[in-house]
Amino acid sequence: MSISVGDKIPSVQVHVLSGDGPKGISTDEIFAGKTVALFGLPGAFTRTCSAKHLPSFIDHADALKAKGVDQIVCISVNDAFVMGAWGKDRGTGDAVMMVADGSANFTKAAGLDIDMSEKGYGVRCRRFSMLIEDGVVKVLNIDAPGTYELTSAEAMLVGL
Amino acid sequence: MTISVGDKIPTIDLSIMTQDGPGGISTDEIFAGKKVAIFGLPGAFTPTCSAKHLPGFVQNADALKAKGIDTIVCLAVNDVFVMGAWGKDQNVGDTVMMVADGSANFTKATGLELDLTERGLGLRCQRFSMVVDDGEVKSLHIDDGVFEMTSAETMLGEL
Repeated sequence: MSISVGDKIPSVQVHVLSGDGPKGISTDEIFAGKTVALFGLPGAFTRTCSAKHLPSFIDHADALKAKGVDQIVCISVNDAFVMGAWGKDRGTGDAVMMVADGSANFTKAAGLDIDMSEKGYGVRCRRFSMLIEDGVVKVLNIDAPGTYELTSAEAMLVGL
Repeated sequence: MTISVGDKIPTIDLSIMTQDGPGGISTDEIFAGKKVAIFGLPGAFTPTCSAKHLPGFVQNADALKAKGIDTIVCLAVNDVFVMGAWGKDQNVGDTVMMVADGSANFTKATGLELDLTERGLGLRCQRFSMVVDDGEVKSLHIDDGVFEMTSAETMLGEL
């Protein structure tokens, strides 16, 4: 079952890359008491993600924050090293928190998993965006596999 | 069962990044009729791998080829986009073929898996090195905590 509007974000452990290497962080720490724009995608360094999705949130970070978003979070089933390297490569700086769901804990708990084993990717995350207030899902969009229409920063901004 | 010296490399489909995007390649294509230096590691962009293992093979590529190695292969349980990006980041050029075992098919078939799920990395590959001649394993080192066993320098000393 996929997560729905009105649901609480499941409490799971994910990782971020800190100056001292990968650091565990719970979703509670990320979401409690904040308005968060969260988007997920099938993989770091992939074409649609790199070319459009992540940059759309970097480009619109200020506009989202002006509309009340405290934190922008990018999540993917990649490890903390890969997410850190991808963030650096794309120049995310402080605009977007790069969160590694390397063991797919969040992705599976939220029912957003997509099995891409046949294509050599293992289990990954569907392309989605959510607006989350104090841990409760307020808006949820999921793109069909291979498409990128509903989950952009631009689409989220329109709804805010 | 972990693969051993004398075993044949199993036939598995893998991926490499090409000019036109991700491309499939089988282990048969990589290994048949060639002498291949292959090394595997737990993950692209990780500190030991980035700082030592891959660069060691890049730097010693000419020396390895002078000793009869036709192809140098780096393999990890990362997808083809990550392996391509890492190769670019590390300026691998044509020296090392960056092979993605994204679904861990090769890693599992050779018994070289390493479960790093607790640490948020999922199922990965142990750090290893092999010399493979026409698909047959001639030497095999698996890292048991000593990185140097699987380095390009160690392999060179044994060739």
